[in-house]
Amino acid sequence: MNMKKFLIGLVAVAFLFGLTSVALAKVIKIGGLKDTTGATSDVGKDAALGQHEFWQYYVNDHGGINGKKVKYTWFDYGYRIPEAITKYKLLKRMGVVAIMGWGTGDTEALSPTINKDKIPYVSDSYSAHLTRPKDWVDKDGRKHIGTAYNLFFSSDYSTNARSCLTAWYGKKWPKHPDYGKRKPRLACCYMFGSPYASAPIAAIKNHAELLGIEVGPDQDVSLFAIDTKSQIMALIKFKPDIIWHGNTTMSVSATVRDAYALGLRADHIVNNWGYDENLPRLAGEAMNAPDALCVMGATPNGFFGQDCDLMDEVVKYAKKINPGVPQEKRICRTVQGWSNGLVLWEAMKRADKAGDLTGPGIMKKGFETMKNFHIGLCTGDVTYTADDHRPTGGCWVQEWKNGKFQKVEFVDVKGRWPKQWASEWFGW
Amino acid sequence: MPKKSTVLLIALIFGIGALFASCAGVQTKPTAANFKDPVIAIEMIDVPVYDGYWYYSGKIKPTKGKAGNHGAPLVLAITFNITNGNPYPILLEGYNFVLAFEEFDMTTVNGYEAQWIPAGKTNQVRVTTVFTTRSALLKLGVTSGYKLKAKGINMWQAMEKYWNTIPDMSFPINIYEGSFSFSANGVSNVIPFKGTYPE
Repeated sequence: MNMKKFLIGLVAVAFLFGLTSVALAKVIKIGGLKDTTGATSDVGKDAALGQHEFWQYYVNDHGGINGKKVKYTWFDYGYRIPEAITKYKLLKRMGVVAIMGWGTGDTEALSPTINKDKIPYVSDSYSAHLTRPKDWVDKDGRKHIGTAYNLFFSSDYSTNARSCLTAWYGKKWPKHPDYGKRKPRLACCYMFGSPYASAPIAAIKNHAELLGIEVGPDQDVSLFAIDTKSQIMALIKFKPDIIWHGNTTMSVSATVRDAYALGLRADHIVNNWGYDENLPRLAGEAMNAPDALCVMGATPNGFFGQDCDLMDEVVKYAKKINPGVPQEKRICRTVQGWSNGLVLWEAMKRADKAGDLTGPGIMKKGFETMKNFHIGLCTGDVTYTADDHRPTGGCWVQEWKNGKFQKVEFVDVKGRWPKQWASEWFGW
Repeated sequence: MPKKSTVLLIALIFGIGALFASCAGVQTKPTAANFKDPVIAIEMIDVPVYDGYWYYSGKIKPTKGKAGNHGAPLVLAITFNITNGNPYPILLEGYNFVLAFEEFDMTTVNGYEAQWIPAGKTNQVRVTTVFTTRSALLKLGVTSGYKLKAKGINMWQAMEKYWNTIPDMSFPINIYEGSFSFSANGVSNVIPFKGTYPE
């Protein structure tokens, strides 16, 4: 063999090895926008930790995206929309292929941009406004832009509200002394100016009408309220049987505490972001005394440490990656973070396997191929289609009773009202 | 027959390769068993930019720009000393921690700026964080509202005290629930951290 050829071959092999090592070192970038300092940081910090544990450690320990490592970079945006937009632009410059988002206001504000940029955006906002991928016109003739790149794993807020009200109406109201004598009365407590808290208001009032429930005056409760006596005094005049809460845990606990302290004996139903392990701790006697109030909530996933598929991994990684955070402070927000992560991970693996790990590829060859995909963590199985991004048609409603969360009912909204679900209750 | 110079060239390549290999062999290889936890300490917390204490609600018309709920920024730089007691270099991959004034959380900080720490040496990591009287108002409200109420402290009073006296560092700044991630040649470890400044 000619020595010159041999040396050229040697160099070529070395070059090839070099290139291969570069290719192997390719990292898939995923971004995160979280609230760890703002108005929803009572629930946001734990969710942020959970998603970091999931993406940076669990996913990479379990093969990444079909062998490619993941780099997860998240930022706190303090629940401020201008900052969310600024951080979004940074993540885009960094070249992320998908983003784990957070709140309703910023996610809805960013939706047209992410559609244009074709970046899948898996948010912790479960607003029903984010579930209709194609442009549509509502019954009042208003045009809505489709939210083609918005996704999440959970039942949406409107389905949660309908589920909670249905469960209460079916399980609790028949035990009331006035059952059969008059219509039950509903009041809603939420921060009027919060896109998150007000997102399902139209849906719950529509559902109350469907069930024959009288609706009283809404009460404006700030997300960081610790004194809601004036709102409770206003409600005492209306005498509600059931109060729906649209806020997060801290202010929900304040409202339940004040209702108990002022003798308002209504039952309570709570959207998922107000219903976690901290609620009974903060609500104190109102949820734990012998004459405690009935407080039920939407639970689209299991509580931290609950007996569910994959929960042992959630707990293991929480201990391993954030050993300085006491386990008793970890709550179901970690589980929610994982649940959203698991659906995006699956979509990315499918898209990558199809050779198209791009934004459109993750949507069409990933998410929109998922039919009854089992996440685990006591979530519902999820399905996404090109026309409908509502992942699941109902949710578990649970109640805090005798010192623990107990299942009341799984309400299958889609199954019980298929006609309305198919067309009328879509996108709001 | 190959030329003499070609033979010498090949011998040189293999010689250099053998030299590198022998150097690598001298260094202790990181393993989970021999990995010593790095020691983390707060060297200093300083205020790189100070803008006093103020807050304007959205009802106030600004001289320029749009009205909104805006508050005085508080910029803090935390310098950590991180000592690597291992006989091999380690990589700091990232960190996150909660920063609290006394017992009240102000912000959660995370960062990804990776750096190598040589064997047996101490590196300094300066982490800068910014929060405002607006963000603190929200943070205090949703995470410390009951604690403040129980102590009879108003949120505004607390912030005024913190913003006005931060140049003196006259109250404890607590860093807790910290996690610092390190790796070395495939071995990785997360070190919890908590500390107070001034001590």
